[in-house]
Amino acid sequence: MKPYQVLIFIAVVMGLLGVLYKAFPNGQLLHKDSEFSIQDSEISVEVSENDTIEEFPVFAEAEVEVEAEPDTVIAKEPEVIIPKIVVDSTTDSRVFLSSFYASLAESGNKVVRVLHYGDSQIEEDRMSQQIREALQNKYGGSGAGLLPLAQTIPSRTVKQQLRMNDRWIQPAQGPKRYLVYGPKRDQRDDGMYGVMGQVAVMNDSLVQGSEELTAICTPLDGRKRYTKWRVFADSSVHYSFAGDSVFLSGQGKVYGLSQQSDTGVIVDNIPMRGCLGLVFTKMDREQLVTFYREQNVQLIIMQFGGNAIPSNKNPGTIQGIVKGLRQQVQYLRACAPQASILFIGPSDMLTQIDGEWQTYPMVPYMDKLLRKMALEENIAYFSLYRWMGGAGSMARWQEIGLAGSDGVHFTRSGARKAGNAVAEWMLEGSEN
Amino acid sequence: MDFLHYIFAFDAEHPLLFTQFYFWGFFALVYALFALIMDRVPDSLGNKKLHLRNVYLMFVSWFFYYKTSGLFLLILLFVTLSDWLIAQRIVKSRKSKAESRKPLFWLCLSVAIDLGFLAYFKYAYFFTDAFNDLFGTSYSIVDKIILPVGISFYIFQVISYTADVYRGRIQPVKNILDFGFYVSFFPQLVAGPIVRAEEFIPQLYKPFHLSRRAFGIAVFWIINGLGKKIIMSDFLAVNLIDRVFDNPLLFSGFENLFALFAYSLQVYADFSGYTDIAIGVAMLMGFYLPMNFNSPYKSQSPQEFWRRWHMSLGRWLKTYLYIPLGGNRSIGFGTYFWVTVIALVSASLTGWWLGIMIPYAVLIVGMILVPRFLKDSNRLKLFYSNLNSFITQVLGGLWHGASWNFIIWGGINGFGMIVEKIWRGMNWHIRFAAMTLLTAGLCVADFYTNLPVWRLFAVWAGLVWFVTAIRYIYFLCEGAETKFTQALGTAWAILQTFTFITFTRLFFRSSSNLDPATANEVAWATAKNMVNQIGGAWNNAIIPDFLWEYRWVVAMFIAGMVIHWLPTNWKRRYRLWFSAMPIWAIVIAVCIAIAVIYQFVTADVQPFIYFQF
Repeated sequence: MKPYQVLIFIAVVMGLLGVLYKAFPNGQLLHKDSEFSIQDSEISVEVSENDTIEEFPVFAEAEVEVEAEPDTVIAKEPEVIIPKIVVDSTTDSRVFLSSFYASLAESGNKVVRVLHYGDSQIEEDRMSQQIREALQNKYGGSGAGLLPLAQTIPSRTVKQQLRMNDRWIQPAQGPKRYLVYGPKRDQRDDGMYGVMGQVAVMNDSLVQGSEELTAICTPLDGRKRYTKWRVFADSSVHYSFAGDSVFLSGQGKVYGLSQQSDTGVIVDNIPMRGCLGLVFTKMDREQLVTFYREQNVQLIIMQFGGNAIPSNKNPGTIQGIVKGLRQQVQYLRACAPQASILFIGPSDMLTQIDGEWQTYPMVPYMDKLLRKMALEENIAYFSLYRWMGGAGSMARWQEIGLAGSDGVHFTRSGARKAGNAVAEWMLEGSEN
Repeated sequence: MDFLHYIFAFDAEHPLLFTQFYFWGFFALVYALFALIMDRVPDSLGNKKLHLRNVYLMFVSWFFYYKTSGLFLLILLFVTLSDWLIAQRIVKSRKSKAESRKPLFWLCLSVAIDLGFLAYFKYAYFFTDAFNDLFGTSYSIVDKIILPVGISFYIFQVISYTADVYRGRIQPVKNILDFGFYVSFFPQLVAGPIVRAEEFIPQLYKPFHLSRRAFGIAVFWIINGLGKKIIMSDFLAVNLIDRVFDNPLLFSGFENLFALFAYSLQVYADFSGYTDIAIGVAMLMGFYLPMNFNSPYKSQSPQEFWRRWHMSLGRWLKTYLYIPLGGNRSIGFGTYFWVTVIALVSASLTGWWLGIMIPYAVLIVGMILVPRFLKDSNRLKLFYSNLNSFITQVLGGLWHGASWNFIIWGGINGFGMIVEKIWRGMNWHIRFAAMTLLTAGLCVADFYTNLPVWRLFAVWAGLVWFVTAIRYIYFLCEGAETKFTQALGTAWAILQTFTFITFTRLFFRSSSNLDPATANEVAWATAKNMVNQIGGAWNNAIIPDFLWEYRWVVAMFIAGMVIHWLPTNWKRRYRLWFSAMPIWAIVIAVCIAIAVIYQFVTADVQPFIYFQF
């Protein structure tokens, strides 16, 4: 063939593709832009398309440059993510942490407990670790806090090994676990999940009947200064301790182990994989009340919202989820009236839109709704999204190794940076 | 102005890639001028016409490289000039008997310059760390070193040219512009294939020729490559593989294992897709690039795999490394030198000086003693061959980057090749006994340590033992070898090789695209977490849920593997059938194919779905 014939071929193909592109500007021939609905079983709130909030028009923020907020830390470029805090006494949401700050003054005499609930973004003790270190360095205390009996997700802070009847086992081979945020088959009807939202049942099956379990929990961060073990379990479960090991036998529910000091701040990392944060109302109220009171829980951190983003393109659904989160906040406040609550919103999250990686349109929207909800409920709010730099910041985080290629999760160094920012923001609030 | 800036200026965030519309617009314009030269310049000008074409394409290639790598173009120009000059010097100095060592000097100088660039850009961090470790200093590289695109490929290309001139296999190219065109020809500049001078330079002096069938095949390669790159590679990566490798702990053992196998397909589709496009684009301009992938996952042994995978690199390593080391004939200074370098690099990267230097010393003693005491020439050949090919594999790993994981990756590949060769030399009694012992040992290790890695190995060994036992029994019963048993044997060998190669990729993928400063730590953690999940967090109950929720990803993976494993004849047939279609049918087919491919570009990203809690 002659080169000019090849050229004509190229021109014709490009011309036809141009026509196709004109006919289908979004390029989608085979699949339409579908509206997703929530499938998560944890949602029990009513979602209404008409339940709009006027002050927050849909998508209004997606293209707006991030503006400084009094209660957030802004860093437009990830290279200069310096937690420079702008304080405005009238709207600084840290005022809602005042009772927590006051309780820290007593940390020399007793335990002040902080529970950090969150989704997969806090797995492996991410972010909680930095918050713990910052608080314990300033107010004393040691130990990693609560740990599940079978650590199915490893932690950066504590390495766990399990032996059952003198045989090494994997966590999945251990006692049956029930999870408030898990699939239906792993849920309980009685709501008895304990404060971690998960419970392991020793000798659940009468056939087995003779499980003797040893959990060896070795601190990995060189902060081996805890003074005692605590086991939260039914009275029918027998336990003893030696060094890093906890020995358990008997039959009953084990809600968690805890490595902790007698005084100071204890920060518990409680990740709930895939969770929207709408599960607390399913957890037995009396159990929560008892634990929160006896363990002097003074701060509950809720870090949710990210799991609502990928599957939901409908603002009404997002509003419904935030409404559900408001119910959870109210429920937790009722269970722990002495505790302050801090809500950490979702980070920036990326998806492919027309082949380009961009921020999910619902991220800024949800962030705004959550902030509004938090201020109305008198709880503190930290906007991870705005702190990162707003729309598209996750892409810049990816470039410098702070975020994974999924555009959703932080890398370890990213989580460290975010955790330090939250901790510094909290501590600075305590000084005012 | 912005538009002109977009068209002509280098933008690090938007390099020129085959998958972008910009590239195809660029190619259309380039081809328009190319057609003008080829059709309007009279043939009577002969070589001058070809020279004009070559110079034109060379400048186009330089622009392409500038758009891809910015001022790193200067490195490309420098090595082009230096190797061209040095090759001339080699020939001139060879004519004088008094200067008999000069050609070698010039060759060494050329290799030193070329590898110097490669070493700086790829290994500067490593060398700095090693120097600091050895001498207790604390030097650091202040600025981040950005690897120039394609440097590994064109550096190997110019080395092959100078080495071939030194060996007298080719005559040096007289015109530097022709040589510049050979080094920088844009379709293969960025990701290969590594074209040897003797394969390409003769084409510079041949007139344009593109048969009707070759045209059809060129178009087929381009569409095939785009499909591989966007459907089989990018779609799988974005929707599953990347997220699993980023956070293995978020996923169950099965999901990790699936992602690992899918990565095998992804990396093949990505690399070979790019090469397919390069071959097709070059063909449309009348140039023929060598095949770079020959259905590698059809291989029945690791050795065969490396003959089918990235063939141009394999040939390069064989010609310019394995054979000079001695091949299966001997071991010499080169073998000792590289064994020492590998030992030092490994010790420096890991910090296990004693743990590596003791085996190193044992190996050196073995290298000295074995040739003296081993009289069987076949066994001696096997010894030389194994040693030199192991070194070649490890250096091939290091070529990808100075990371511990790349060394492990190269080492496992070398080890696999050796084990397979030894296995082939065993009779069935020994095979069965060896497999039984290995499986039993791994089961005991799993039982007493409960470490996922041993469980993983034990399961794998158990499967191999089971099949070996069946084959052993069949052998004892003196069962006849039929076509059916042969086919079963072939399928098993392919499956085993594919599985082995897939697990080596655990270390390859974990090291890719990482800041060298954190590469080792992150890569090791990723590999460890994936192994722990596969060996320890298996959950059969969630497999059906996963298969259903990720049905598109699973379907693409299965489709990719089925197409890959189609018989070569079938593939050749449908390629020829496509190329023989009328032009209008090819136009329609191309438009449909691109429209379908574009659906995968614009498709929604698969939301995160957790099965493992």
